[in-house]
Amino acid sequence: MKAFRFVRPSNGREAADLLASTKNALVHAGGVDLLDRMKERVDEPDVLVSLCDAKGLDQIRVEEDGGIWIGARVTLAQLADEATCRRFLPTLSEAAGLAASPQLRHRATVGGNLAQHTRCGYYRHASFPCLKRGGDSCPVRAEGGVQDTAGIFGNRDCASAHPSSLAPVFGSLDAEIVVRDAKGERLVPFAGFWANPAKGRASDTRLRPGEVIEGVRIPPRDTKQFVGYAEIRQKKAFDWALVSCAVRYETDGEKVTSASVWFGSLAPVPMRSVAAEEALVGTVCSDKSAAEAGARTMASATPLAGSKYKVALGKVALKRALAAARERA
Amino acid sequence: MSDDVSRGAAPQGGASHDGASQDSAPQPKGAQAGKGLTRRALFKGAGAAAAAGAVFQQLDALAKDAVPQAPRSQGPGKTKITLEVNGTKRTVAAEPRETLLQVLRLPLDLTGAKPVCDRGQCGACTVWLDDTPVYACTILGVEAEGRKVTTVEGLGTPSAMHPVQDEFVEKDALQCGFCTPGMVMSAAWAVKQHGKELTEAQARAACAGNLCRCGTYPHVLSAAVAAAKKGS
Repeated sequence: MKAFRFVRPSNGREAADLLASTKNALVHAGGVDLLDRMKERVDEPDVLVSLCDAKGLDQIRVEEDGGIWIGARVTLAQLADEATCRRFLPTLSEAAGLAASPQLRHRATVGGNLAQHTRCGYYRHASFPCLKRGGDSCPVRAEGGVQDTAGIFGNRDCASAHPSSLAPVFGSLDAEIVVRDAKGERLVPFAGFWANPAKGRASDTRLRPGEVIEGVRIPPRDTKQFVGYAEIRQKKAFDWALVSCAVRYETDGEKVTSASVWFGSLAPVPMRSVAAEEALVGTVCSDKSAAEAGARTMASATPLAGSKYKVALGKVALKRALAAARERA
Repeated sequence: MSDDVSRGAAPQGGASHDGASQDSAPQPKGAQAGKGLTRRALFKGAGAAAAAGAVFQQLDALAKDAVPQAPRSQGPGKTKITLEVNGTKRTVAAEPRETLLQVLRLPLDLTGAKPVCDRGQCGACTVWLDDTPVYACTILGVEAEGRKVTTVEGLGTPSAMHPVQDEFVEKDALQCGFCTPGMVMSAAWAVKQHGKELTEAQARAACAGNLCRCGTYPHVLSAAVAAAKKGS
């Protein structure tokens, strides 16, 4: 790791001021992803602006309007264990509790989970060319490329698959990302937070230099919500999801009146399936309507030879997430 | 508040190096009056240590004329870090880029936690940070400043072993032994969390982040459950 200066602002505002006035600085929270990248010299900042002492950013709280605010430094262990999250955001709690290992859940943060870079092995190995690191093409797509974790949507230029399993849950809950820069705070709708891969664009987000994630806000709901989450992976413990799926829907007592369906690990960024949502609305939620929604989602998939299995996996994940939503209700 | 803050936030080292030009900053009305503690002294004591954020916010409200304090900066060269390791305060000089694992092993000579993957993927470097298991390789030493670190050396000694260590011997829960210090820390955390009622499933979940290439898992789990039954 290259030597760097470690700066400890005491709140998000100070962090944003520091980022504005410091060259080649990166934000540090849990360090789970960032230190990995720095050890590989994929990132070589001169300064780490650490949120380790930042006040308030480690809290989950219910706001006056019933919305829930989750600080950027809240850990996955907090999401999994704290009563507020378990009670009001059960799918988020579930996804966080399944992720990684106890040791990592105690360190990994919400902000870091959203801002983490792709786990694609080629991206993280400086000896391979990689579109995201400024190369001309994606080695995953090349002859002989390792494709088993590759994306099956939006993979024409870069076949990475967004690793976050919290992201589809946040998407399904219509979360807003609270972003701060030296000028102030702004709320970014979840869908607008993500940036498709492009040559030399390492980040999967639209965060601009000088911006720091302060938290995530989940809007309040005044009607009954059905929420479900499912992920499929190779190992039961300590593994990444091969595909994750989070759903939220409302009914008129019988039929689905509105639905939100999001997938993780199928595309370079978290993916909403409008096709699945449209298929579900007007139906009584069941395995049959889930199968139709899955089929419509996957109709536009463009899998690579090594990631074809994810087409079937995605359908199963959606079916399980919807079944979980029905069971929870 | 002031007394508590100045005491509670008194840092263990290296925290008073910034803000030296603030001596003439006006004293806010009412703040710390009659307590013999100036705001300057308070800042000096609190520095940019953990509690400073709250102090800043409260004092900002009192004194609009307060000159902003620069957030604390460490490195890139060696910086002093004081942390409580296995119950003893230790002060070391380390660069911010040194991980907690490096700090524990090199200056502190605690070689129980093992560097294996150095990427938070194997668990051999598991220690407790403020009584919670973490990978020492994914934490910077500077982050552990003022915090409590427990390594396998702090759990027990060869003559006075922790029940989990005892049961690891009893149940033959190791082969090559390289994952063992980390595995013991996770198993002992499971015992601490769940007490006598610890189930095998809970032990399994607690040890999920520790890999053993020899495949000693079944013995590890039975050692954890047996240690829990014995109490610790």
